[in-house]
Amino acid sequence: MLTLIVLLPLLGFVLNGVLATRLGGNLVGKPFVTVVGCGLPILSFVLVVKALLDLRAAGFAPIVEIAYRWALIGNSSFEIAFYFDRLTAVMALIVTGVGSVIHIYSVGYMKDDDSFGRFFAYLNLFLFFMLLLVLGRSLLVLFVGWEGVGLSSYLLIGFWFHDLANARAGKKAFITNRIGDAGFLLGMFVLFQAFGTLDMDRLNAAFGGATLPAVSASLVGILLFIGATGKSAQIPLHVWLPDAMAGPTPVSALIHAATMVTAGVYLVARMSGIYLHAPEASMVIAVIGVATAFFAATVAVVQTDIKKVLAYSTISQLGFMFLALGVGAYGVAIFHVVTHAFFKACLFLGAGSVIHALGGEQDVRKMGGLARKIPITFVTFAIATAAIAGIPPLAGFFSKDEILWYAFASTRGGSPLLWGVAAATALMTAFYMFRLLWLTFLGKSRMSHEVEHHVHESPLSMTGVLVLLALLSAVGGFIAVPHFLEAQLPLPEVHEELHHFETPLLVVSVALALLGLAAAAFLFGGTADRVERLRRSFAGLHRWLSAKYYIDELYENVIGKPLVWVSDVVFLRLGDRRLLDGTLNGMAAFGRGSAGVLGRLQTGSLHLYAWFVLVGIVGALLWSWRHV
Amino acid sequence: MIDSLLRNADSVLLLVCAAATLASGALMIVLRQPMRVAMALITTMIFLGAIYGLLGVHFIAAFQVLIYVGAVMVFMVYVIMLLEVRESDGPRYSRLLVPGAAGFVVLLGVVMISIWHPLPLSVGEMGKGAFGIAAFSTAFLGEYWLLFELTSVLLVAAVVAALAVIRVSRDSDNRKRHG
Amino acid sequence: MDRTQLLIGVAVALFSLGLVGVIVRRNVLVMLMCMELMLNGVNLSLVTFAQQTATTVGAVLVFLIFVVATVEIALAIPIVLLLVRDKRTLDLGAYNDLKG
Repeated sequence: MLTLIVLLPLLGFVLNGVLATRLGGNLVGKPFVTVVGCGLPILSFVLVVKALLDLRAAGFAPIVEIAYRWALIGNSSFEIAFYFDRLTAVMALIVTGVGSVIHIYSVGYMKDDDSFGRFFAYLNLFLFFMLLLVLGRSLLVLFVGWEGVGLSSYLLIGFWFHDLANARAGKKAFITNRIGDAGFLLGMFVLFQAFGTLDMDRLNAAFGGATLPAVSASLVGILLFIGATGKSAQIPLHVWLPDAMAGPTPVSALIHAATMVTAGVYLVARMSGIYLHAPEASMVIAVIGVATAFFAATVAVVQTDIKKVLAYSTISQLGFMFLALGVGAYGVAIFHVVTHAFFKACLFLGAGSVIHALGGEQDVRKMGGLARKIPITFVTFAIATAAIAGIPPLAGFFSKDEILWYAFASTRGGSPLLWGVAAATALMTAFYMFRLLWLTFLGKSRMSHEVEHHVHESPLSMTGVLVLLALLSAVGGFIAVPHFLEAQLPLPEVHEELHHFETPLLVVSVALALLGLAAAAFLFGGTADRVERLRRSFAGLHRWLSAKYYIDELYENVIGKPLVWVSDVVFLRLGDRRLLDGTLNGMAAFGRGSAGVLGRLQTGSLHLYAWFVLVGIVGALLWSWRHV
Repeated sequence: MIDSLLRNADSVLLLVCAAATLASGALMIVLRQPMRVAMALITTMIFLGAIYGLLGVHFIAAFQVLIYVGAVMVFMVYVIMLLEVRESDGPRYSRLLVPGAAGFVVLLGVVMISIWHPLPLSVGEMGKGAFGIAAFSTAFLGEYWLLFELTSVLLVAAVVAALAVIRVSRDSDNRKRHG
Repeated sequence: MDRTQLLIGVAVALFSLGLVGVIVRRNVLVMLMCMELMLNGVNLSLVTFAQQTATTVGAVLVFLIFVVATVEIALAIPIVLLLVRDKRTLDLGAYNDLKG
């Protein structure tokens, strides 16, 4: 049955991909595509729920299902096996649940697009790979899913490939992911060499066993984390996520907010058995996580494209998740994955609704005053914004507060410094999200006249999904995910003496959220010159932030240009042309030269030939002297 | 003195014939006109025949004169006369005169040095295996009958080839006249 | 020096003279005649050695050389004739079609 969960979206890909695209001659129309494209993921969701009930009935003992034996090499056998336990249940519910509703949203959003069928085919393909990733038992199956979601992401980012910039963004995403995958592969090699198996449950058990394993847990931990850095857009491989906003908005919501980018978080949480014994690696994860969160939040404050703000927000929230993983609170990180999926998907889809209403406008400087014109979008967007800012009792508050608490007090690396940076980031999060809300929906309209005339609310397929996700953002915090996962992913110990800080820190979290809201309301609720004055006084800082700390330019100049130079000068001109071609041409020239020299012996003069005979006879006689 | 001369007559005669052979051989290289060169060659061959006779193989000496001089050189002289070669027909020597002469000296020197020590094969006395034509013919037609047959095949092939050459020359003549 | 050495010396000298004649002389017919001289030299050496054994094999070989020389001349001269008719000269300097 687990196999069926995975294969249903694949069936959707095949059907839509062959019949609904130019490949099959556009045999079927939009209704067929809608039914197949949305129906199969919904069916998968139902099956996941059923699997969860089966799991509960079995006392939460993991369900293992071996689908196919892939290879038998020597003594090791590699199977495609699926594994269902608590963690898998949570992830699979999110993937199929949020995935299905985003599919439904896409029906409305991509209604007028020519490549309607291709879009749903790619979305289903993505879902197939993501389920493979989440349900896989061994790192090998996970890696197949990992690469597959990278492929789908590339296909979907460059969906409107006739614009070259989109294709370039897709390439950037794929290549940056690939760099991270190098670390992932090395980690897999080390693990396989040490334990002879890649099954994740067995690996966790091997690390938790009585005897110390032969390989350093921190080494493996860091290698696997490099892979997670690429996939989950942490420093230094975060550069692809803002560019990935070139894809259609449902893609941004599904792949680059809710599911694919959380694959890195899932990987670390799944391999918690290793990270429990790798304090150095965990510290690295925590530091990079909180640094990424802070850095991305600072950039988000000055972005003017509505989707780019949300993209940097995603990077920042992923940083929070990695911070939680770094201090040992694996269940809390997964909790944040769940709540983030709800509110971030709601935000992205809401942004899509705004863009749809404005006929393609994405610059917030040209928006404003939309609250009355598209009320449903406004309300759902506001709820999701409050959730991400951490205002109780919405979902984001619970998960973010837990992360902050464990960052402060965990015995596995929690420290006030981590808490301080994370709290500052939370303040900025609240600030820029409410800034976005104000600039987009409230205040005076800065839209052009024709755009304003055509503003309309989105169809039911889109608004219905927005309402559902907003509801989940509101009440999702009460799903006690860490408690549910505690049997499998225990929460870390807390320093005894810090126990009494728990309530004060909770109050501080709420205060920070409200402070961010107030600051945004003050700056953006009033006249425009308050912001202008602030911008002018910090002009240099503003420029740096707007240019995203010039990191793309840095990569281009430090890595890109030298690489191109090496390829051109060393490999092409020196290596290929001069060395290889030169050697071949040199050999040919040598042959021709020596032939020319020897050819001069052939003068056509018989006298010369006879003279050579004489010389030969003399030579033979002389030689016979020595050997007789 | 005449006594010792007469006593070693065959050695003296052999020496004289050898010297004569060499002299006429050297003359061949030096003379300018081809007809004179042919005469020198004939002289060489006849003296060689004399040497064979002195060695005791009379029938081979007869063959030498009969076949070599009588057939081969006559044919050669005939061709020289046919081609009406004149005196002033270009330079006598090729460009490789000096290298050729040098090579000659070297070759001669090397071989002379090689044979200076008594050759290992001089087991028997000179004239030991002197035999007449009867013994030769018996052996030729008896023991070496295969070589005899091959000889006849070779001669037939030569005749056919000669006829073919006539045909080729006639065809090329026709083509030149009517072409 | 004994007879064998003398005769072998003569034979080798004749052969060398013939070879040098081929190298040095320009007239085609003279070259052919020098080749005959070479054959004669070889013949002499063969007779010298064969004459020392009691068998007739040497004589048979000598006879075969006679036959071969005859056949060779019988064909070489017509070929030379055809060539000369084409080039209109007996000078070997004109016969360099094998060049290159």
